[in-house]
Amino acid sequence: MRMNKRDFVAIALVVALSLVGFLLFGRTGEKGKEVVIRSDGRLVGTYPLSENRELTVTLGSGKNTIVIRDGGVSVSDADCPDKYCVKQGVISRSGESLICLPHRLAVEITDGSEPDGTAR
Amino acid sequence: MKKLLPIILILSALLFSSCVKQKEKREFFAMDTHMTVTIYGPTADVVAADAQSEVERLDALFNAENEDSEIGRLNKSRAASLSEDTRRLLKLALEYSGETDGAFDPTVRPLVRLWGFTSGDYRVPSSSEIASALALVDHDAVSVTDNEAKITRKGVEIDLGGIAKGYTSDALTEMLSTEGIRGAIVDLGGNIQTFGKKPDGSDWKVAVKDPDGDGSLCTLTVGEKAVVTSGGYERYFTENDKTYCHIIDPESGRPVENDLSSVTIVADSGALADALSTALFVMGREKAEEFWKSSSLDFDFLLYTTDKKLYVSEGIADSVSDGLDFETVAR
Repeated sequence: MRMNKRDFVAIALVVALSLVGFLLFGRTGEKGKEVVIRSDGRLVGTYPLSENRELTVTLGSGKNTIVIRDGGVSVSDADCPDKYCVKQGVISRSGESLICLPHRLAVEITDGSEPDGTAR
Repeated sequence: MKKLLPIILILSALLFSSCVKQKEKREFFAMDTHMTVTIYGPTADVVAADAQSEVERLDALFNAENEDSEIGRLNKSRAASLSEDTRRLLKLALEYSGETDGAFDPTVRPLVRLWGFTSGDYRVPSSSEIASALALVDHDAVSVTDNEAKITRKGVEIDLGGIAKGYTSDALTEMLSTEGIRGAIVDLGGNIQTFGKKPDGSDWKVAVKDPDGDGSLCTLTVGEKAVVTSGGYERYFTENDKTYCHIIDPESGRPVENDLSSVTIVADSGALADALSTALFVMGREKAEEFWKSSSLDFDFLLYTTDKKLYVSEGIADSVSDGLDFETVAR
């Protein structure tokens, strides 16, 4: 597979962002609880990280197969040109994310159980 | 250009992450309660400090316990000139009092004092004591003009405690909108109000406390909203095995005792949500639902009954998750 210049820029951007994010806010997150999947910023679904499952997200631009297994999540297959989402491997900690830029898909781990506030 | 690209990327990424990621959480004590302000944005730290100052400024105006506050002076001399904030708040309080037919009433103070909730010296008063304090609950005896407020009957007193926190969270979100803040959530003693979006662009998750335990009844997912809960479980006293809660029914003059355990209101305005959570709690379930159906005020509710059933108005039924099964109430 050949990478064109736009792929390179996209990958470099993601790497640079995560690197800088890591350097600035370097604490490794706690083990996450929820997998939040978004496409174009819109919520596709929220799934517990503790339950094994495989789901295929089909969007206008293509599809990604997401696997939640043993407290981790990864993109096992995708029909995007760069397959960068697949190459990112397995993530399991709160705050980590997998991104498929060509499909504008984001798979993020949150500590889901914690609300932002409690009315009382 | 090739050599420059990584530098540009890193610089823009730096800028980008510092804008998106900055967060300031500030906790303080004001209005007789614990407050938390969480702000996201490039100037979060400065704005959070401003937010605290704003709360303290408003507290100094509204606090009926403070004789030097504007409300304190009004109660004492039955006439006082008011600042813009106090005037607006008092007018809102009187308006909601009229709308709720007195279920929310800013002149309930003589009764609150009689039961010991202002001092902490709780006691169950006699029926004649209740009757004479009840006679002083009269929001029609309060008038507000452009720069002055008057109490036209001796003994009538104002306490804005049931709406001041809501007004304050409105004032804070108003302030945030002029400060270039992306998102914020304020918790003023359990009154929640949200502004903008979370840093990841998603809506806010607000849990509703379970009155009978440490957990929550459910979670509400909201955009920019005020979420305010009233219940008898936060402040109360017990005498001869009977529990008396701090919310006094302005009609009976006694602590509320009905089929409701807690009421949560979701609305655009914190002041409205604050006043209505008290009003609907006073009304009881049936009257609360009827009020919602007939009222022109725009709000949604979540009613939790003493027999542990949850009733949710249709406007927020889709926003409720992680909780008990509930019955949807349609208009």
